[in-house]
Amino acid sequence: MKILRLLFVGCYLSVAMLPLIWLLLTSFKLREESITVHAKYLPSLAAEVGPDDPYFRANLDGYRQLAAVYQGSNHSFFHYLGNSLLIGGFSTFCSVLIGTCAAYGFSRFRVPGSKDWLFFILSTRFLPPLAVVVPVLMMYREFDLQNSYLGLILLYTAFNLSLAVWLMKGFIDEIPTAYEEAALVDGYTRLQAFVQIILPRAASGMAVTAVFCLISAWNEYGFAMTLNNQQAVTVPVYFAGLQGNVQGLPWPQISAGVLLFVAPIIVFTILVRKHLLRGVTFGTIKH
Amino acid sequence: MNQIPGRRRDWIQWGFVGPALLLLIAMNVFPLIYSIVLSFTNADLVGGEWKFVGGLNYKFIFKFAKYGQALRTTALFVLLAVSAELVLGFGLALALLERFRGKTLVLTALMVPMMLPQAVIALFWKLVLNGNYGIFNQLLAGLGFRQPQWITDPDLKLLSVLLVDVWMWTPFMMLISLAALNAIPGYIYEAAAIDRASRWRIFRRITLPMCTPLLGLAVLLRATDALKQFDLVMAITGPNDPATQTLSALLYQAVFRDGKVGLGTAYSYVILVLVIALASIFLRYMDSLQAQQEEVAR
Amino acid sequence: MKRCIMMLLATVVMAQGVFAQEKSITIWWAQWDPAVALQELGDEFTEQTGIGVEVHQIPWLSYQDQVFLNFGNKQTDFDIVIGDSQWIGRGATKGLYLELTDWLPGAVDMQTIHPRAARYLCEYPPGSSKFFAAPCETDAIGFVYRKDWFEDPDEKAAFKTKYGRELMVPETWEEFRDIAEFFQRPAQKRYGCSLLTGRGYDSIVMGFQPFLWAWGGAWGDPETFKVQGHLNSAGAVAGLDFFKGLMHFTPEGGTNADYFFNLEAFSNGSTAMVLDYFPFYPGIVATMGDQAGFFKVPSHNGQRFISLGGQGFSISTKTTPEKQALAKQFIAWFSQTEIQKKWITYPGSFTANTELLSSEAFAAASPYNTTFAESLDDLQDFWNVPVYNELIAASVRHLGAALDGTVASADALNALAQEHEMIMMEAGLLEMK
Repeated sequence: MKILRLLFVGCYLSVAMLPLIWLLLTSFKLREESITVHAKYLPSLAAEVGPDDPYFRANLDGYRQLAAVYQGSNHSFFHYLGNSLLIGGFSTFCSVLIGTCAAYGFSRFRVPGSKDWLFFILSTRFLPPLAVVVPVLMMYREFDLQNSYLGLILLYTAFNLSLAVWLMKGFIDEIPTAYEEAALVDGYTRLQAFVQIILPRAASGMAVTAVFCLISAWNEYGFAMTLNNQQAVTVPVYFAGLQGNVQGLPWPQISAGVLLFVAPIIVFTILVRKHLLRGVTFGTIKH
Repeated sequence: MNQIPGRRRDWIQWGFVGPALLLLIAMNVFPLIYSIVLSFTNADLVGGEWKFVGGLNYKFIFKFAKYGQALRTTALFVLLAVSAELVLGFGLALALLERFRGKTLVLTALMVPMMLPQAVIALFWKLVLNGNYGIFNQLLAGLGFRQPQWITDPDLKLLSVLLVDVWMWTPFMMLISLAALNAIPGYIYEAAAIDRASRWRIFRRITLPMCTPLLGLAVLLRATDALKQFDLVMAITGPNDPATQTLSALLYQAVFRDGKVGLGTAYSYVILVLVIALASIFLRYMDSLQAQQEEVAR
Repeated sequence: MKRCIMMLLATVVMAQGVFAQEKSITIWWAQWDPAVALQELGDEFTEQTGIGVEVHQIPWLSYQDQVFLNFGNKQTDFDIVIGDSQWIGRGATKGLYLELTDWLPGAVDMQTIHPRAARYLCEYPPGSSKFFAAPCETDAIGFVYRKDWFEDPDEKAAFKTKYGRELMVPETWEEFRDIAEFFQRPAQKRYGCSLLTGRGYDSIVMGFQPFLWAWGGAWGDPETFKVQGHLNSAGAVAGLDFFKGLMHFTPEGGTNADYFFNLEAFSNGSTAMVLDYFPFYPGIVATMGDQAGFFKVPSHNGQRFISLGGQGFSISTKTTPEKQALAKQFIAWFSQTEIQKKWITYPGSFTANTELLSSEAFAAASPYNTTFAESLDDLQDFWNVPVYNELIAASVRHLGAALDGTVASADALNALAQEHEMIMMEAGLLEMK
């Protein structure tokens, strides 16, 4: 039984890790060697390798050339990374802030129609983004919001709000009201109680929410591609847009870029791994 | 329980809840209404004058085969993807249930695919599955298997998209399965052991039913996400391939290539209605299962 | 004091910025070598006139989507778009392209422009003398082949033994087929040919056309827009069958080969003959030098038809009148003969000026130029009506199914003809039955 288990996990792991390992290897190759007919999977530091060898010339070109500007783009990878950071960061901050406030409201007050509001908030995730993006695009054209940072930040904030509200409500529900009640009796205003009592205790919940909102905004493609394709372009759109480049896709650079791009996400995920479950199920799971 | 009485609450509660609801209404409700209006027009993507055309768009959807085809393709995709992810994910969770050295590392490694940007990873999978120089085929050749043409063989195209989707989202199912399995209290197993129940019986009668509510939730979440699948299809085969044309791909083709905004929005409404209907049925089924379980527990 | 100076400096800088903004134009084109050349010429224009020119390049696969998405905005991010020949109907009828009928003949001597180029790249409807684009880049498909393999004595001997004639550049499609068969050696990872069969945009349509036309078929009647009887004629079906037959001699993935797949198939040394648009070849010439030779699309039964490509300068209606005037100035400057002489020296840049096309300078500029010049008389294009996109999309689906073998050629063309007519009827071009 144990052997079967080991075999199963081992098999799955090797198949699942294969593309990632290949991604890593490709980031150290030269472009020509990433598309050879005989796969090259062993790095070598030699100056010359044969065309049919499994060896490839390992170098840092992939990483170094991330600073290069490709024909057809106006900026290097790092500019787009900056855009993703800006848009992802701001929208996450707003989602968490507004979401926590709203969650507090739903948790502590008897808001009329709260169940319906909460379901409405959840249902915003049912429509394919492409369906929603069309009216949003037309709306944005009226206000000149397409190809702007503000436009995409607004959109991501709104779309992550559902996740944020559900998650934070779960966390806040678990904070006993005794603390606030005591504070109110002591003469604190509701707002002061919120800021000084609830927020510190909800901090870990907010961290988790922030991570999930960030992941969602970081990797998002559908909206970003249709709304922000000239300015304020994010990394996924940049990479996908390199397709059809006459010099061919720069696989080493893309691989290096993806690895750099996903690194912060992996770090954050490891930091909040204990709360991971809550995030993926919208906080409906309690510990 | 956590409700605070008092008259000032009205003012204050809206202060907390208001901004969120306002933003959501502006970004969700308003576009929704706008697009319903658009679905009755012949609006074009490049702007210009448009006029109302009544139910013409909706008529087209029910008239032309390709809309039904896209629906079928999507349904097939969702069914296969979610089933595969459920089975694999649950299997992995079962296998990884106990503690062992390096468990955290293994789990983290398994979760990495979930965290990657779909659009870019799909491109990369294209490299891996390429018929000419892709390593997947080279590996298969090395092991003595035939080399299928993943991306160009019409029978295999959907499978390629499925492959990448399953690769990315099985960890999600695994995560939830782990939580579900961990949530089963130990004493139940002990009681079963005392009764000398066989492993298979324990699994069927205890483990599975107790996991069902959570797994049901996971299936719902994953299914609604898979329905929206666009990034992978766009990157691997393009939006105009009949073998892989999912709902979103057809939408893209109709709205962004043909410029038919009215038709696109009409189509998305038909889909939305379908999805809400299916989701409600599913949720009701889950509720009844839950109720059944509670009966049994009592 | 310091503050004063800072403010002064800021104002000067800002003024410069404003100044610079006013006198400059933005041109959008696809990402390839001709666009690089255009930018260089644009820089020359800036030197001469002080008007800035920025050529913004967008990779082909997203070019069309981005352009039309941008056209929906209140103001476009570009002043000139060098649009694909098929877009002209959409641009003209939706009021996106500025009509140039009154201005163009004065700015460009249309007599010097090759008639096919003028008709397909600049006029809408074709032949009406209403202009919506000025000639920029003429284009055609052509073959690049492994000259070194063709000249190898062992290969030549083997070919002669097998087929009874010399191994040389094919004149007819039947000869082409033999050569492709000869070089198809999958065990050694060598392949005979790679044609245009890509489904992402329009590759398969461009690849199929020469066969459709040479075997006597047509997309339809350009006057009445009838499709049945043309697209599904016996000749068309035979052409499609021949096209399908050639798929046996392609690399893996050759049934979905687009312009970029073909470039890679040739440059990684595996394929003997590869079809692509000429402006894609400079990179190959640079890396493979003498190994690469060129020949024009073969004929069948004495009929030769070559898919036209090319883009013209179109001025956006959604930009300021000042910019439109500047744009016109640039186009007029570009079209002068001295500038066109410089244009043709850049690899991949093709003029529409007939005199220059037959000049020695042109022939000497790049190894494929002569082949290109010879191809011009046989150029023909796909529909450029406003609904071209749907026509292409339908063609891609049905032709793809035929190549994949899921549908018989005759059935595929029948279904396609039917769908094309439906699209035409919906668009009001074809009378409803």
